[in-house]
Amino acid sequence: MMSNKKNPIDSKVRRYIDNLFSEVGPSQQLFDLKEELTTNIKEKIADYKFRGMKDDQAFKEAVISMGDLSGLVDDMRKLGQDTAKQSVYSAMTARISTAGIIAGVLLVLFGIIDISMLYFMNLEAVAVAGNGIFVVAGGALITYSVLTRETRKKYAMNKIRAAFYTLSIGLLLFSIFTAVTSGFATGEIYIAIASFMVFFLAGVSLLLFLLLTGTDRWKNNV
Amino acid sequence: MGNTISTDLIRGNTNTIILNILRQGDSYGYEIYKKIIELSGNQYELKEATLYTAFRRLEQEGYILSYWGDETQGGRRKYYRITEEGKKHYNKYREDWDFAKEVLDKLIKGDLYDVK
Repeated sequence: MMSNKKNPIDSKVRRYIDNLFSEVGPSQQLFDLKEELTTNIKEKIADYKFRGMKDDQAFKEAVISMGDLSGLVDDMRKLGQDTAKQSVYSAMTARISTAGIIAGVLLVLFGIIDISMLYFMNLEAVAVAGNGIFVVAGGALITYSVLTRETRKKYAMNKIRAAFYTLSIGLLLFSIFTAVTSGFATGEIYIAIASFMVFFLAGVSLLLFLLLTGTDRWKNNV
Repeated sequence: MGNTISTDLIRGNTNTIILNILRQGDSYGYEIYKKIIELSGNQYELKEATLYTAFRRLEQEGYILSYWGDETQGGRRKYYRITEEGKKHYNKYREDWDFAKEVLDKLIKGDLYDVK
């Protein structure tokens, strides 16, 4: 009764179901219900086609005969809200991430203020730029904390992947830092560029790799 | 298929209708939908939207439980099974129904001159 080939009706059914629950927060129950509905609608469409209907007509008839699904959508919405709240607010990782973001921002600010302070004390340029290391550390910490944070819309990134992202952002910031400090220390621009290049290229290649291999963390696509 | 009043009358008994099907064997959404049409002699169609809402309630009340069947070409089917609690509830409702049916019949069709 059912064809083995992937047909466009399958994706049409999936889209219809996704659309129906598009405003609903994720939950295990929603995931299950969507699969249950999809399987049953597909079987119904196959029956209609068996009786001689064309694809589009079979799809339309099947959807109409489902009836008013708004009650079901409401049920799922309530569940989704509850679970979203629980998983976002009670998770220990969320608190660690918050602490990480605050500490990271403070480090960056401390670095910037320190640099401006030393600059106006008319210290040597190298000594001034040396405080940029705080900005580098702060930036890396913020990166890690933001990525491992679960939000209403997105799941948290796994820790290992987040650590690699942190490393790549850290490398990029560090490349700027070394360029400035080595440039001031030696007074030679080419040394600045040379030391910049090493860390910058490493950071960029790692970042590109991560961006191109990423998995979808958006909750709506579950 | 029937007028509004009879549809409402039947809809009030959705849970029992589902339990009646499941007491005769495990089944899944679309199959239950087809069996209801068949049982009614093609005179009544219970919308699937109503069915899935009823499944959730019945499961919460412990009258039925669900499990996933094997993968078919269309995806996995979610099957439902009646529990002992569900069977008890069904039998109780069936007795109530017999009683109500008799009384309703008297109330709706009864002739006052016959009662003496």
